[in-house]
Amino acid sequence: MKIIGVIGTNSANSATRKLLEYMQQHFKQQAEIELLEITDYPLFNESDDQSESALLTGDAKKIEAADGVIISTSEHNRMIPSSLKSFLEWMSFKLHPFNNKPVMVVGSSVTKQGSASAQLALRQTLDAPGLGAIVLPGNEFLLSSSAAAFDENGALKDQGTIDFLGTCFKNFLQFVKVADVLNGVDEMNFEPGTYSVMASGHNGKVPMKVTFSENRIENIEIDTEGETTGIADTVWERMPQQIIDGQTLNVDAVSGASDTSRGVLTGVAEAVSLAGADPDVLKKRPKPAKNVADEPVEYEADVVVVGGGGTGLSAAATSLQAGKKTILVEKFPAVGGNTIRTGGPMNAADPEWQNTFDALPGEAATLKSLMETPDEKIDPEYLEDFHALQGQLKEYLDSDKHFLFDSKLLHEIQTYLGGKRQDLSGNDIHGDYNLVKTLVDNALDSVKWLQNIGVRFDPNEVTMPVGAKWRRGHKPLENQGYEYISNLQRYVKEEGGQIITDTRVKKLLQQDGKLVGLEAENFDGQKVIVHASSVILASGGFAANTKMVQQYNTYWTKVDDDIATSNSPAMTGDGIKLGTDVGADLVGMGFSQMMPVSDPVTGELFSGLQVPPANFVMVNNKGDRFVDEYESRDVLSQAAIDNGGLFYLIADDNIKATAYNTSQEKIDEQVAAGTLFRDDTLEGLAAQIKVDPAELVQTIKNYNSYVDAGKDPEFGKDVFDLKVEKAPFYATPRKPALHHTMGGLKIDKQAHVLNEAGEKITGLYAAGEVAGGLHAGNRLGGNSLADIFTFGRIAAQTAVTEHEELATDATTSASHSE
Amino acid sequence: MNYTGIIGNNARNSTNRTLLQYIQKHFGGSDQITLCEIADVPVFNKPESHVAPPAVAKIAAAIEQADGVIIATPEYDHTVPAVLSNTLEWLAYTTEALKDKPVFIVGASYGALGTSRAQGHLRIMLNGPDLGARVLPGQEYLLGHSLQAFDEDGMMVVAEDIQSLEDHMKYFAEFVKSNQGK
Ligand SMILES: Cc1cc2nc3c(=O)[nH]c(=O)nc-3n(C[C@H](O)[C@H](O)[C@H](O)COP(=O)(O)OP(=O)(O)OC[C@H]3O[C@@H](n4cnc5c(N)ncnc54)[C@H](O)[C@@H]3O)c2cc1C
Ligand SMILES: Cc1cc2nc3c(=O)[nH]c(=O)nc-3n(C[C@H](O)[C@H](O)[C@H](O)COP(=O)(O)O)c2cc1C
Repeated sequence: MKIIGVIGTNSANSATRKLLEYMQQHFKQQAEIELLEITDYPLFNESDDQSESALLTGDAKKIEAADGVIISTSEHNRMIPSSLKSFLEWMSFKLHPFNNKPVMVVGSSVTKQGSASAQLALRQTLDAPGLGAIVLPGNEFLLSSSAAAFDENGALKDQGTIDFLGTCFKNFLQFVKVADVLNGVDEMNFEPGTYSVMASGHNGKVPMKVTFSENRIENIEIDTEGETTGIADTVWERMPQQIIDGQTLNVDAVSGASDTSRGVLTGVAEAVSLAGADPDVLKKRPKPAKNVADEPVEYEADVVVVGGGGTGLSAAATSLQAGKKTILVEKFPAVGGNTIRTGGPMNAADPEWQNTFDALPGEAATLKSLMETPDEKIDPEYLEDFHALQGQLKEYLDSDKHFLFDSKLLHEIQTYLGGKRQDLSGNDIHGDYNLVKTLVDNALDSVKWLQNIGVRFDPNEVTMPVGAKWRRGHKPLENQGYEYISNLQRYVKEEGGQIITDTRVKKLLQQDGKLVGLEAENFDGQKVIVHASSVILASGGFAANTKMVQQYNTYWTKVDDDIATSNSPAMTGDGIKLGTDVGADLVGMGFSQMMPVSDPVTGELFSGLQVPPANFVMVNNKGDRFVDEYESRDVLSQAAIDNGGLFYLIADDNIKATAYNTSQEKIDEQVAAGTLFRDDTLEGLAAQIKVDPAELVQTIKNYNSYVDAGKDPEFGKDVFDLKVEKAPFYATPRKPALHHTMGGLKIDKQAHVLNEAGEKITGLYAAGEVAGGLHAGNRLGGNSLADIFTFGRIAAQTAVTEHEELATDATTSASHSE
Repeated sequence: MNYTGIIGNNARNSTNRTLLQYIQKHFGGSDQITLCEIADVPVFNKPESHVAPPAVAKIAAAIEQADGVIIATPEYDHTVPAVLSNTLEWLAYTTEALKDKPVFIVGASYGALGTSRAQGHLRIMLNGPDLGARVLPGQEYLLGHSLQAFDEDGMMVVAEDIQSLEDHMKYFAEFVKSNQGK
């Protein structure tokens, strides 16, 4: 019999702990009692859910697997200690491992009371629906005057007490068996047949057919025609399988596709109701058993890559091209990361191509003002290149040519100046010269390399991604970010690379100062070990980890607890921790980028009416404009933060027509759902968004007059398009969301990870968003894709070269010793 | 009167916070009410030293200067939530600020029972020898269905809830006065 003993106190020297330790020893013939400490539990906070932390899930698993639980409590102010209460609150919030679990309560106190009052309260608590334990009645074991109850070996002194404890424990073991019988009775009775219901997918409703026999769910069929391929595919396969295997609706959502997962569960629950049974019973059943083997799965490789975004896949492809055995480990069910979410344009100076396009009005002025930047504004290491650029610009501007200009130097200086920022305490940051130089010198090669892999770019359009400062974007012909991922993934597989999904890397393995592989955990909770002398970290940034952003932030005056993110939920900064655990240094961690015009709840960029910035009219919660809408992302974000975060994009019917992200059907849906506001009058719109109608009307009147005048005396907006005048009027709620993290592991230009002394950590490489130093205080739009495909390849090239050196070293030293 | 209100929850959206804020506004004409948050109080682990950490000292000072204390408790798992008992453990262990202090217990819960079990436990705790407060006897203010009890501006919507709250506050003021003589 396997019993968990919860030590219900966090104080080090306590009779409560001694009592359980004694029971563990004394009853070891009858049962195996494993002790569980609650000392490391944070105080429960409903708004700061930690249910997914390793500590909580680990303990919940142990409790679920045990035959019974003993809780020993002390007494504080007549109640159980807050630390024990906090532990129980966590276990009642999302995880519920105590549901139907047989529990025995024991306790002690230094007074005569012996925790009688606390034990009574504990019984009531264990009865609460979130816990739902079945508690052994009677058998109240109260140890009073506990200070004197144990001898120096930790054994109870009083024989009467020992005997009574023995009786209680014997009764508990008996009770566990009875409870087992009790738990077996919730058999289901269905009206056999096949029931049609709808599950909600990403693109709308998905038809689903559920078949029942008298006691079982026999089959779930989902018609996924009309759904896009991607991560949801895993949902369609995995959820039905788990529901049927476990005959339970207590199934975890697939990471990264929680909405779709919930859609399936709700659909099946509806079918269960239609079949005349109670879905709540199925929801309370235990999670499907995972057949976790105790033995880890082990793999051997030359190069192992952590993370399957653009960085990881291009690193894996490069390593395969050099003939190395390559494994890529990805924590989510599908590869793609943030890279698959991008619009796709990637910056690379390609003058030959760009010169075939005409220059646009205003571009010459931009170049001229850049050329006239005084030397004092340029950091010394960039001065020589800046002067060379001045020469190029002068020649171009003097020549009266009308084509689109570009050069590696222009890309370099724009990346450098774009990333120059000051934090709240006045510290300056700018991009590392070697990294910036390496980026601009190799970005075009990366484009060509991707073309060879199969990525198709649009030769007819040179784009300027939002926030890019120049038109040098190479845009995939179709499919946006998916174009990169699908081609790279296919290539890696064709070349014999192995991609292990659903497996999260948890630890890097190091021996004698050299990397020797990594340790991970797969979906079933099984340990996975990859042995390799080169490890490439490509696990992305941490913009989906608000706490971590807050912890490091030195740039924003405020990062709200409930700030949304545009990122995949996978971006929790795992790689930063993996790196620092083996001594890596960090750089620029305080700098993150926000996307000012994001959905306040989901962080999505493509909801509401997204129009060109010339047509942005931003008003705060008073109905006033507050910023030049044409400003850069970080100025807009900080202005929004200063105005309380939430703001609205006001549009009229004409501006609506310039939205590039939506359709009438989507607009109507969002209005109905209350995520977009529409009204026939500005006053009505003001009432809907709860701002003063007179104020909003005045604001719009002023704005319209600025459009007429081509000048905004209030905030200095100088690029206008349409006025706000034709009903119906719209308000799209927006709030800055976390978008990108510039800081990360410190690397050199060959992508070696450096330690605090600036030395290479042998065998460890990093690239992409997990690394820092390149984008510094602000990343230009379109520079990430250039970064990840350039440094992803470089990391692999360095690893491959050094792997050969390491291998030769090993053979020479072997032959020496012979 | 001069009251200190303790918000017995660390959740960002707490109807118990709304309740105390409402009390602060509604009785603002006659009473001055200071509200204390407890989210910053560190985890109590029976340290060697009996000195209150700053977050606790701040609450203790607010309690000491008040004529009476109003504690709003949620109900978690049929009892007082850990954050509130954590704060009470610190007070009992360090400043004993609640000793002989008149206390009025209120509570808001999503369900119908309005924290009746949590309030029962809180009363036992406060009456115990370590805290030794003087809890307003014979009166309970239970606000059930608390998610529906307030409008968007935090105003109570049901007239009977308001009336009952006014009655309770009157009893409490009398109780405070009768204790002040002692
Ligand atoms: C909505 C959106 C739009 C964007 N648009 C653009 C754009 O147009 N142009 C541009 O240049 N940039 C853009 N960016 C930024 C750019 O997408 C990212 O900076 C870039 O994709 C990062 O690539 P990466 O390979 O380093 O990380 P990612 O692509 O994020 O991949 C990291 C991978 O590592 C995996 N992983 C994480 N932890 C672990 C672990 N412990 N074990 C195993 N695997 C792990 C993740 O699941 C993920 O698959 C955009 C970002 C977003 C969010
Ligand atoms: C872990 C947990 C346990 C809960 N247990 C109870 C309970 O036992 N009784 C109850 O009425 N509400 C319970 N609730 C729901 C409400 O949080 C509770 O009604 C609370 O008193 C509402 O107060 P608040 O608005 O301050 O959060 C629980 C909530 C959580 C997160």
